[in-house]
Amino acid sequence: MELLNSFLGSGVRLTTPILLAALACLPTQWTKDLNVGLEGAMLFGAFGGVVFGLAFGSGFAAVTLTIAAGILSGLVFGWMITRLNVNVFIAGIVLNIFAGAATVYLLRSLFGVKGTLSAPGIPSLPTYRIPFIDGVPILGPILSGHTVLTYLSWVIVAVALFAVKNTVLVRHLKAAGEHPAALAAAGGNVQRMRILAQVWCFALCAIAGAQLSIGQLTLFTEGMTNGLGFVALAAVIFCRGRVLLLTMMSVVFGLASAVAIQVNDEVIPPQIAQMLPYLIAFIGLVVLARTSKDGGVRIATPTMES
Amino acid sequence: MSLKTPFKTLPQSQEGVKSPANSSVRALARRAVPGLFTLAVGLVLAVILIEAQGYQALPTIMAGLDYAVGDATSIARTLAWGLPLIVATLGVSLAYRSGMFNIGAEGQIYAGAMAAALTGAYIGPMFTGLHLFLCLAVSAVVGGAVAAGLGWLRAVWNVDEVLSTLLSNYIIMLFCAYLATAPLRDPARQSGTTRAVHDTAMFTELIPSTQLTSALFVVIVLCGATWWLSERSVTGYRWRMTGESPAFAAASGINVRRSRIGSMAVSGALCGIAGALLVTASQGRFWTEIGTGIGWDAVLLAMIARARPVSAIIWVLVYSVMRSAARGIEQVSTVPSEMSLILISGIIIAATARAGLFTRLAELKNRYIRSEGK
Repeated sequence: MELLNSFLGSGVRLTTPILLAALACLPTQWTKDLNVGLEGAMLFGAFGGVVFGLAFGSGFAAVTLTIAAGILSGLVFGWMITRLNVNVFIAGIVLNIFAGAATVYLLRSLFGVKGTLSAPGIPSLPTYRIPFIDGVPILGPILSGHTVLTYLSWVIVAVALFAVKNTVLVRHLKAAGEHPAALAAAGGNVQRMRILAQVWCFALCAIAGAQLSIGQLTLFTEGMTNGLGFVALAAVIFCRGRVLLLTMMSVVFGLASAVAIQVNDEVIPPQIAQMLPYLIAFIGLVVLARTSKDGGVRIATPTMES
Repeated sequence: MSLKTPFKTLPQSQEGVKSPANSSVRALARRAVPGLFTLAVGLVLAVILIEAQGYQALPTIMAGLDYAVGDATSIARTLAWGLPLIVATLGVSLAYRSGMFNIGAEGQIYAGAMAAALTGAYIGPMFTGLHLFLCLAVSAVVGGAVAAGLGWLRAVWNVDEVLSTLLSNYIIMLFCAYLATAPLRDPARQSGTTRAVHDTAMFTELIPSTQLTSALFVVIVLCGATWWLSERSVTGYRWRMTGESPAFAAASGINVRRSRIGSMAVSGALCGIAGALLVTASQGRFWTEIGTGIGWDAVLLAMIARARPVSAIIWVLVYSVMRSAARGIEQVSTVPSEMSLILISGIIIAATARAGLFTRLAELKNRYIRSEGK
């Protein structure tokens, strides 16, 4: 029972960044500008959380400023892919690699450290224990003892479920991807929708990163996202635009990561256990291609002519 | 437009003589502008990154360049580092040309390195040439098999190759880390490394203590072969057709499936050989972080070279100098050597945004002229 409780608790904790990143990417899938730079955006978010946290000494300020920085980056990214016609796939791949290099550069030049930045001044986000539920087995570790960002991620899931059914905004976002001409004729602004999707993407990735760095660990390590963004990307591709399926996939990936932490080294070697989320994502991808008629979503790669 | 007007006043005969020269100058300019533009962006970025650390940009850059290409030894060192990257970049480019975005170069390099390290260490010492050849061949087969498998999934089952190759990176790297830390670990060493390979599985050094080995000749041969395969052979033509328009290629009788799987197989084989070079030309054994980042460098460089073999080789050489210079700069200052990756990222974004940026600027200019006119 103790093992199950800690497994579920860490499962929910590890689900949070994946779920946030997947929710971030979802609107960019609607507008057909699938952002493959989740990994990089999350890494910047994690870095921002630590840096702003150190500078202002408060977790709240850190998260707020990281989100603000995310929104700003989203505007720049959106402007590049809509107005400057930069291919979104190239921009995303470059963003991933750029983030890896830029955070190391900044880490070295701002703090003079190589590898890991961990200092007593870094605030960590408080976890909330819900008084009565906390003691209940199974339910307790799932519902209680998490950071505000974990709860926020589930609020966003609820909002997204509602928004997909009932709001004009989501319809406009989807129309910007599927029938841009129709949206323009109906008086919508296609470019604004595409930029909005990227802003949303970067803002949520910023939160996902902050959850990693100051929500779970209170430190920043080079390349600490370590493929989580790609796992989230697999969830987004797998769900084909549906929020509930997306949430389920994220939870599966989160639980798979929790297995890697909980399982004893003697039972499964740690590297094999760490492989689990990637293997599940890979198998999911193959299953998707076999079961759906259109073979799922293709990432918008550029053609190599001229 | 403004260039044409003076010619209208000239006699017919003279215009006939002048215009070809004029057009060739213009064609040359059109080719040179992107290169100059990216060069300028790279330089400006470098100056900003160095000045931001409180150093004088120009002397620092010169010191870095001196470290990278100052004398024969440093050129050899820079080149030695670039050799595996050239092979990997050519591999990635080859797949790009047939429309297959092989982002899994990193994993294929690791698989190749592991295969070469095991062949070198466990299959007993043989004649120098044969053992070395066996190492390269096994790593090419392993890397090629991984990539061909992913290519098969894309060609036959329509599994998006971008995401499948991305995920394969982590699966392969973790698996290799498992092999190197548990069953195949060198018991004499603490960290995650395999046994050292036999001497017969190592290239001989050309210039002492530079790590520039006779692998150079292998790489030159591979460059030539890849260029011929991609640009001159019938197979390469089929691959390029598939990349530009699969539907048109299929309609004109090209087997699209075979092109996709084939190009991925050769791409993976080259990445595998790149991994083997890491072992047989320098490290002498596999360790868990042997090729960190080389696969990603290759992906970026293949992108900026637009998958052309010749420009891929040129870009890798430029990048090798940049990276080596960044190392040198790191030694004389506190500017981190990650600067080279930041520069190449900036250059790629600038290069892909260039056309759009110029259109925006022209638009702004037109608007300005119109407002002046009123």
